[in-house]
Amino acid sequence: MEEPNGAGGRLILNMAIVRQHFKLYVMAGFLSGALGALGYRLVDLQAVQHDNFQKMAQENTVRTIERLPVRGQILDIHGTPLAISVPAKVICANPSLMGNLYPIVARALAPLLQTNDAFLTERLTPRMWFDSNKINITKYVPLKRKVSLETWAKIQQTMASLSFGVNESKLNWRRQAFYDNLRAKSIYTEEDQIRSYPGQRLASHVLGFVDNNNNLNGLTGIEYSFNTNLAGVPGWRKTEMDKRQRELVPYRDQDVPPRDGLNVVLSIDAGLQNIVETELAAGMKKNMPISASCIMVRPSTGEILAMATLPNFDPNCTGAFPMDALRNRIIADVAEPGSTFKIVVVTGGLNENLVTLNDRFDCGMGKFFYAGRWLHDHAPYGDLSVENIITKSSNIGAAKIGIRMGKETLWRYIHNFGFGEKTGIPLPGERDGIVHAVTSREWTAVSIAQIPMGQGVAVTSLQMVMAMSALANNGVLMRPMLVNRLEEPGGKLAVQYKPEAVRRVATPQTVREMIEALKTVPTKEGTAVAAHLDHYTVAGKTGTAQKVDHGHYVQKFYTSFIGFFPADNPQLCISVVMDDPRDKDSEGRSVGHFGGVIDGPVFHNIAERAANYLDMKPDIAPPPPEAQNLAATPAAHH
Amino acid sequence: MARNRKNESNLRVAPILLTVFLCTILAGLGVGYVWYKNQIDVLGRQIKARETRLAELQRDNRMRREQLATLCSPVALDARVKKLNLGLEPPALGQIVRLIDAPDYDRSAQPQPQLAPQARPAPPVKVALAARKN
Repeated sequence: MEEPNGAGGRLILNMAIVRQHFKLYVMAGFLSGALGALGYRLVDLQAVQHDNFQKMAQENTVRTIERLPVRGQILDIHGTPLAISVPAKVICANPSLMGNLYPIVARALAPLLQTNDAFLTERLTPRMWFDSNKINITKYVPLKRKVSLETWAKIQQTMASLSFGVNESKLNWRRQAFYDNLRAKSIYTEEDQIRSYPGQRLASHVLGFVDNNNNLNGLTGIEYSFNTNLAGVPGWRKTEMDKRQRELVPYRDQDVPPRDGLNVVLSIDAGLQNIVETELAAGMKKNMPISASCIMVRPSTGEILAMATLPNFDPNCTGAFPMDALRNRIIADVAEPGSTFKIVVVTGGLNENLVTLNDRFDCGMGKFFYAGRWLHDHAPYGDLSVENIITKSSNIGAAKIGIRMGKETLWRYIHNFGFGEKTGIPLPGERDGIVHAVTSREWTAVSIAQIPMGQGVAVTSLQMVMAMSALANNGVLMRPMLVNRLEEPGGKLAVQYKPEAVRRVATPQTVREMIEALKTVPTKEGTAVAAHLDHYTVAGKTGTAQKVDHGHYVQKFYTSFIGFFPADNPQLCISVVMDDPRDKDSEGRSVGHFGGVIDGPVFHNIAERAANYLDMKPDIAPPPPEAQNLAATPAAHH
Repeated sequence: MARNRKNESNLRVAPILLTVFLCTILAGLGVGYVWYKNQIDVLGRQIKARETRLAELQRDNRMRREQLATLCSPVALDARVKKLNLGLEPPALGQIVRLIDAPDYDRSAQPQPQLAPQARPAPPVKVALAARKN
């Protein structure tokens, strides 16, 4: 190899080396700069903006899904479901996947969602808004709640077969994917539940109903009173989703299952409730009152076995009924009780030893002038014993017992029987009733004579039947019991409610005497022969109160019969009340307007069927079969 | 020299085996890790599928419960009996004759029945049209 000559050659060599070094330094500088920039970006992304990007990443993948609890059931005492929750769907739409084809989707879905397509078109119109300098398109539009699973299946079929009038096989893959997404993903669902009442109108006033558009919150009845127990507690699941919104189960962070609502087991017996409602409806058809109510109570415990008011409603579709039908008149309406209230004054008189059953009172042949007012009986009676005052339902006799008692004593017994205060039944809307204090201006001179006959006080039907039940329960007033227990969804007992005695209102001796008097009412001599039962001894009392309109008594009546049986070992106490029954029945026959003839037959039918249903042992012995056989032969008649 | 060569050859095999062993371990760990991750994913999908199935079954169960409740409702049963004209109804009280078995029947423990004027206490009856439990 020939070396370059002298200094010139060395210079050329040095220049080449310098150039090489320069290139090397430039390259190294460039790479260092690039690496520095990358390093800076790395630090910027991973450290400086870490929190922002972590948040964005989590927004893209991490989801917190609410897990809704199932609302508890309402069951009757035998476990027959009266209110249950059925799975349903919220139909939602993602308009961002529909482009300008949303009117076609709206037209297809409108009949299935039972709405008009103009409304759906408006809902499905894509809407845009700016958020942090980004354009967003609506992706979540709820179209309808409480949609049944069958309807959702039909919607899925409709969407899958939806035609847009184009030959999609000739489109490019991007357009084909658009149509596929539109069919498969633009309409989706969320979990929901519907409250269903399988018995329809059965015990509707007891059960109440829920607000289907607001998380199934109870609005009335047990649904309202026990809403907290029935609703349960929601759970949640914090998890991650992939790009196709499928859950990545291994990345679940928190998974808290919902706690389903407790089941409320009522003291109501669906069989008895059905008997009551059927017979009440028959009575309503016959006598055409504004309303009819019935309560059936087990006196020894205060358990309410049936509670019905007509007109009633179907909680599955409350909107179809007038507001008037939604009211539980048994606890929400107060009225003068009429003669059924005589049990209070007579019990008081007997209990205070102011009268005995054999004491006699002059009933003035149906007229009695007291404190400037004439009081009347429905028939002219002369001297009547206390027992006969009950049998014949003499107003004047009861008034005279009340006068003998004095106003303080009378008021004390009214209070002790539970009038003027809520009974404590676990239903919303209960009224106190009206009982004026003896010191008040409303307690006038004539009150002492009026109140014993059931005027000048206003009570609820429930207060009245609980007062009668106190007599049937050996003189102990019980708190009405509508809920027997709360159960876990699996049936495990959560809370057991016990019968609760309020107070003793009369001694057992007084009660025995009262029952003897009350036994005479459903007899030929009494006011309610129609309430007589062939196989059971009935003790009861009729009531016929004139209604008040604008401060004056009018020729409209509030009739009732409250009775219990078997009288010496009471197992059922039944109250039947009708508001303004017609004088003539549905066939045009004049029946009068008294509790005995209007409500007595309804009581009779309910009591007989209920006794049969409960297989109660008769306390009136049937004639022996031999006697029956003999009676059947002609010779026996001789 | 030959001895040295032999020693050198032994020295070369050992690192190779060690390397192969370590590579195998590393590869095994890698494959195991991937398999493990894959298993997690597969099991996750299976869990999800089973959860979905369970939710479906629970939903079906609730639907069936609702159907059963509707069918068991006294209102529905009454309507069905009337619709089919079956004539089914409980026996009237007058149609029931109760058997009174002497050993079980403690007359003194029972409340004294109020007798109708024409009726007299019936002797224990052994023949019955229908017997019902009390």
